[in-house]
Amino acid sequence: MIRPLVIAVIAAIAVPSGFLWLAGKPPLATWGALLAYTLGTWNGFSDVLVHAIPLTLIGIGVAVAFRAEIFNVGGDGQLICGAVLAVALAPMFGALGWTALLLFLFTGAIGGGALGGLVGWLRARFGANEIIVTIMMNYVALQLLTWVIRGPLQDPMRIFPRSYELPVAMQLPIIAAGTRLHAGLILALLAAGVMQIVMSRMAFGFRLAVLGENANAASYAGISVGRTTVTAMVLSGGFAGLAGAVEIAGVHLRLQDNFAAGFGLEAIAVALMAKLHPIAIPITALLFGIFFVGSSALQRQMSVPFPLVWIIEGVVILAFLGFGAAAARRAIRTI
Amino acid sequence: MDALLLAGLLAAGVRLAMSIGIAALGEMVGQRSGVLNVGVEGIMLLGAFLAALGAVSTGSPWAGLALACLGGLLLGALHGWFAIVLRADQIVSGIAIVVLGLGLSSFLFRLTMGKAPSALPAFRALDMGALSKLPIVGPVLFGQNILAYLTVVAALSLWFVMSRTPLGLAIRACGENPEAAEADGINVNAVRFGCVLFGGAMAGMGGAYLAIAQINSFVENMVVGRGFIAIACVVFGRWHPLGTLAAAVGFGLTEAAQIRLQIWYPDVPYQFFVMLPYLLAIGALVFMARTAALPRAIGRAFVSDRSL
Repeated sequence: MIRPLVIAVIAAIAVPSGFLWLAGKPPLATWGALLAYTLGTWNGFSDVLVHAIPLTLIGIGVAVAFRAEIFNVGGDGQLICGAVLAVALAPMFGALGWTALLLFLFTGAIGGGALGGLVGWLRARFGANEIIVTIMMNYVALQLLTWVIRGPLQDPMRIFPRSYELPVAMQLPIIAAGTRLHAGLILALLAAGVMQIVMSRMAFGFRLAVLGENANAASYAGISVGRTTVTAMVLSGGFAGLAGAVEIAGVHLRLQDNFAAGFGLEAIAVALMAKLHPIAIPITALLFGIFFVGSSALQRQMSVPFPLVWIIEGVVILAFLGFGAAAARRAIRTI
Repeated sequence: MDALLLAGLLAAGVRLAMSIGIAALGEMVGQRSGVLNVGVEGIMLLGAFLAALGAVSTGSPWAGLALACLGGLLLGALHGWFAIVLRADQIVSGIAIVVLGLGLSSFLFRLTMGKAPSALPAFRALDMGALSKLPIVGPVLFGQNILAYLTVVAALSLWFVMSRTPLGLAIRACGENPEAAEADGINVNAVRFGCVLFGGAMAGMGGAYLAIAQINSFVENMVVGRGFIAIACVVFGRWHPLGTLAAAVGFGLTEAAQIRLQIWYPDVPYQFFVMLPYLLAIGALVFMARTAALPRAIGRAFVSDRSL
């Protein structure tokens, strides 16, 4: 067990280091700067937390679907769908006081859940491969976003391609003065706890796991494969949609181009490294928050190209995957 | 519709289809051998960048194509190593390849060419004299660049290899029933590795086509989903080389049509036209999925008796 772990960790550090060296940056000093900013400054660390909030929420959704072997790669599209629906309906919640915020977030979950559910239905009813369908939906949703902020949902001033600013009643409060850290953090941690119980202690979690292990066994056991698939995707998309509403209510306060690009693939890595256990997802989300915020800091401070973050992420996923596979092979050999 | 418009639409459709078609042909071979590679998108990105780099630094698009092919082979080998040798989850490995390809292409682009974008030496449309000037068929069939013709040749050769040769039979056996293939003396994992390498090289060249035969520049994340559309083409083409290429042409035509529709209907928000190819991919999957003959052992790692 130790040898594959050591190899995985070394590879995950060595490969991005090689690219840093290629970029003419001293790897050790660069990693030092990354850690110093993300873990050593309050500004950096609070931004890491802010980034980890949507990653946690989407990651939980990914875990729900992946547990049933449904590969939801559509986090980005479902996030956009949730955010757009929430912003579109927000004017109706205006007079409701503090419940408006809850309704806003719930509407986001509905938007994402509806898109997720549609994909689940297409898979259950027609056997359409959900990986391709969710990815295609991401591009469709992106076009929808670019349209609504130039069309029906554009700010009444009609100068910039963005929506109106969310009224204060529907904004998530900042929980640490002087930072961008908002109450979405509490929501994300709560969601991780609740979903851990659902997945490990409740019948639904069991159905997901059986479906993931063997769809035939699931239907023999009286589990409706179609209904479980659709429910899993509604939940999965719902968490992504919730993340979208949280990003609007907590960070951006309005829809704009690329307001939350690229969370989807990151969230998959987050969920996989947490071994699909919701309770572990906030921790792995923190790790990827460090990569992301750290890479943008390196770009600003040392002009290291930002795409380094994807090299790190890709290598980390592969290292983790290789470690898991090597451990599994070892287990077979020792039986 | 008038003939000139039609000719333009068809010619553009064929031209826009080829990057998807090249990648899809490679993915088709990999899938028939039993290995799913959802990382095509990432490999195409790396291929597009390497093609641009190779073409600019040597002045020849052929060098760019070769470099892209090499980069595709490398990422293909990486996927093969994880999916076949380590027997890791193929889908997760493919997702990692997507992220890695995005990172490598954008990072290296900013290090090398990002600061001073330059004109790329590109593959130009061939001029076949009188043939190219024929109405409609001229521009469609005789006014493409050399890579488009090579892609058609590749599809025809693959058709022959897959259905008429022992190699094709071995590849299909590995994807349908690897245990039987091994009993027949075929080294399943070696065949699969070869097919994944081929798929990687083709995806790299598909990306190269985009950069040095279609758009003629490199832009970060320029593949925008074509890698995934290529996978949809394999399903839509029922794992047949000619079907796969035909599906790619269908997407190329949609892409060419949506660009023209944007101009003809300026009152309709253009975003709805941009969505069309993606919606078509979803529709294709929905209508084809039930009848699709998926290779039976796809996605399943093979444990050879030799390795025990």
